[in-house]
Amino acid sequence: MSEQSGVLQEGARRVWKSQRIVWWLFLVNLLLAFLTTRPLSARLEQVTDHSLQSQRLVNGFDLGAYSELTTNPDAAFSSVMGESNLAIVVFFVFALFLTSGILATYHSDYRLTTTQFFEACGAFFLRWVRLVLFMAVVLIPICVLSYKLLAWSGSVILNKAGPEQTGYWLMLATLLLTTVVMMSLRLWFDMAQVRAVLEGERVMRRTLAQAFRLTSSNFSSLFWLYFRISLLAWLGLALGMWLWTHIPGQHSGLSFVVCEFVLLWWIGTRLWQRASEMVWYERRALTVAAATAVIEAVPSPESSIGAPPTN
Amino acid sequence: MPSRSPVSAVLCLVLSATAQSSIPLHATNSDRPLSERVVAYDIDARVDVQRHTIDGMETLTYRNLTGKPQDTFPFHLYQNAFQPKSTFMTEMRRSRPSFEWKEKYRASSEITSLEVVGMGDLTPQIRFISPDDGNPEDRTVFQVKLPKAVPPGESVQFKIKFHDQLGQVLARTGYKADFIMGAQWFPKIGVWWQGAWNCHQFHATTEFFADFGTYNVRLTVPKNEIVGASGVEVSTANNADGTKTVAFYGEDIHDFAWTIEPQYRVFTETFNGSMGPVTIRLLIQPDHLDQVERYLRIIHQTMDHFDRGYGPYPYKQITVVDPPHYALSAGGMEYPTLITCGTVWWTPKGWHELEEIAEHEFGHQYWYGMVATNEFEDAWLDEGINSYTEVKILNDIFGADRSQLDLWGITEGDDASQRNSYRGVADKDPMARYAYQYMDGSSYGGITYGKTATVLLTLEKVVGEDTMRRAIHTYFMRYRFTHPTKEDFLKTVEEVSGQNLRWYFDQAVYGTAVMDYDFATASSDRLDWYEKKRAKKAETTYRTVVTVHRKGDFIFPVDVLIKFDNGDSVREHWDGRDRWVRYTYDKKAKLLSAEVDPEHMVRLDKDAFNNSYTAQPDARASRKITRYWMVFIQFLSQIAAWLA
Repeated sequence: MSEQSGVLQEGARRVWKSQRIVWWLFLVNLLLAFLTTRPLSARLEQVTDHSLQSQRLVNGFDLGAYSELTTNPDAAFSSVMGESNLAIVVFFVFALFLTSGILATYHSDYRLTTTQFFEACGAFFLRWVRLVLFMAVVLIPICVLSYKLLAWSGSVILNKAGPEQTGYWLMLATLLLTTVVMMSLRLWFDMAQVRAVLEGERVMRRTLAQAFRLTSSNFSSLFWLYFRISLLAWLGLALGMWLWTHIPGQHSGLSFVVCEFVLLWWIGTRLWQRASEMVWYERRALTVAAATAVIEAVPSPESSIGAPPTN
Repeated sequence: MPSRSPVSAVLCLVLSATAQSSIPLHATNSDRPLSERVVAYDIDARVDVQRHTIDGMETLTYRNLTGKPQDTFPFHLYQNAFQPKSTFMTEMRRSRPSFEWKEKYRASSEITSLEVVGMGDLTPQIRFISPDDGNPEDRTVFQVKLPKAVPPGESVQFKIKFHDQLGQVLARTGYKADFIMGAQWFPKIGVWWQGAWNCHQFHATTEFFADFGTYNVRLTVPKNEIVGASGVEVSTANNADGTKTVAFYGEDIHDFAWTIEPQYRVFTETFNGSMGPVTIRLLIQPDHLDQVERYLRIIHQTMDHFDRGYGPYPYKQITVVDPPHYALSAGGMEYPTLITCGTVWWTPKGWHELEEIAEHEFGHQYWYGMVATNEFEDAWLDEGINSYTEVKILNDIFGADRSQLDLWGITEGDDASQRNSYRGVADKDPMARYAYQYMDGSSYGGITYGKTATVLLTLEKVVGEDTMRRAIHTYFMRYRFTHPTKEDFLKTVEEVSGQNLRWYFDQAVYGTAVMDYDFATASSDRLDWYEKKRAKKAETTYRTVVTVHRKGDFIFPVDVLIKFDNGDSVREHWDGRDRWVRYTYDKKAKLLSAEVDPEHMVRLDKDAFNNSYTAQPDARASRKITRYWMVFIQFLSQIAAWLA
């Protein structure tokens, strides 16, 4: 337990030490969202900025007025998700690209130069793409199963006799199970990435297999490590939502700042997971190396048997 | 169906005779008939909860008040709608192509014998007809021709033996697990209306229409069942075969529905109305016990509002049914003196759906129950007027802007919800269209409920809110226990308001015109704009030009309020007949804002955002919405990045 805490603390220290990564990810996340919402903003300005009706959205949040706005052809809300998808894809690729640079930073004891950082990023990018494809192969059946389970629990709510809560508990259990499975999957692939960076592994199938053995043989300690940070991320989200519901509707700027803090916290906690996994892997590698060294130094029992006394 | 020993059969007869003799004088708080009782139904029905069947013996006494001899009588057999080739199912599939037929939905109603007293067995005379669409596979209406006509003023008695096979609840009626909703379950005679028989087939979007009368119904069900039904309970007698026979009596009603389920918990409360005490009997699911108070309170409040605002509730009881979560498609439905509602166990108090459904269904006791309009042909007269009174009452109880939702700072008014449901289908169908002839289900819903409510709310702008209340009150008092037409309603509003409102009704009720006003121009310019040298602001005269444009084809007079930055304001009234109107003012002040319909009473206007113009932009709303979207996109991006 104390060793685990040490890993968490060391992970947090490394994230703090290289906090420019957190800020960069946050700023790019923010910038992409800002840019993709510009067209929407421009359309909304046309509809609402000179309208007294918009006061219904300023003071509080009138769902009726908002519904009317979303169906206003001039606001063209129907195209918002299309516009947003680009930001989502770009941020995904950006995060994928940075992963090895981030891991290399958390591994090294000194500050990487920009060149070193991006060299690390570039060196592993295509490997990560292959890893994502592998992940998709594993993810699709999980998603299908989860969808089926959710649909089933939904049908229990709507169709099955018995206590009404049963279906909802089943739904909650399905969501929790899915979350645990997804977290385990992420942990496995995280370890694969850590191993690939530290070992300079090129073959992703091999690193996945090794990471699977490593993760499964140390599942409880690794999952506990990952889970505690996730829990803090969710608590941050819950706190943010609680604050959001208590901020008067007209103070949307303050609500926005609270939401941004939550999003920053989410990036921070995700990187904390990455850094802690790196620390865990390094310490394990040291332990294994030390154990190997001891095994190599101690004569084997077989060699001792029948050997002449040394005195 | 369990077999019946001769002893128990005799016992049943004795008990049923006892039950009949103990029928109270009235099921209403009136000592005289409230309606012209055209029909008298006497039904013995045995419910087999294992097979989900009903075996009934119906004695229908029909008074020929048509003014002419009648030898042909049509009947509804609604249960036959739940068959794959019926008109109901065909329309349902057309409206929802994803809908899949399942054998468990199949229901049927079969006449095993039909005898007319004095004329013998006429079972072979039964002919299925399809007056609406000619669908030969639809068996929801049959007619029987008598060997001799029933003279005007005389009565005829039908003795109909029927067998129902209930299907799993798909819409309104049927079974699910231990729950049974017995609605539209017995052969029901059509209505002689406007000089002809009115007996439509059952359609996917239509409801019902029937004559007033009395109902003596004896239901035999397993002893452990809790029974709720229209009318009032007269007696309960245990039978030797493990069943019980519960007798109900209803009068001045035009349908009879019942429900059974062993799990129901029963709560009662009394409402002291202006015609006497009314028992509110709530049958609720064990999972919803924490919502008992919400149910009883909203029913009590609604009854109070109706009693004070529109007229008295004359019946001695209202039964409120909370269906189980797995049979919510039987919920949200009205029957005379019985309504089904619907909720889920986690419903927060700020989400007023429970209250909205309960209020709406109770409101139908007035608009459908007592003012028994033709739901096949004039659905807006019951659903629409009811939606209007729902808005008025819920707004009064919860506040106009939060009558539907008041949760975590998010609010929604019921009038906004009704208006939004209409906006999406504004020009698809006129309100006056037959319910089964609407373009689709969403148009039917948006127009009959949403548009009607919005039309009547907008009418308040023309005639005044209090006049509108008086008109609805007059309409109720004048036409309760009759079958009024759309013109009866419209003429009542005209009469009470003292105004000729044809210009409005022709557009709103009979037409599909859409209303939308906006500002083509609204600006202030220096009167001496050609002078290079500017005078001081206080000394400068500005010419303010405001042009109001009628974008839509609906002509409606509107007020326009123009405000200036020195505190002055001007109110104009425009009849809206031309396509646009221009107002020009020369003042030592600039335009601050211009607004069409400053009191926000013209709810029919499809776009409320273009009804006003402010000279100074206020970006707070657009910024707020954009920020929410930014956060949402950032969040989604982070979820995606988690996979990287």
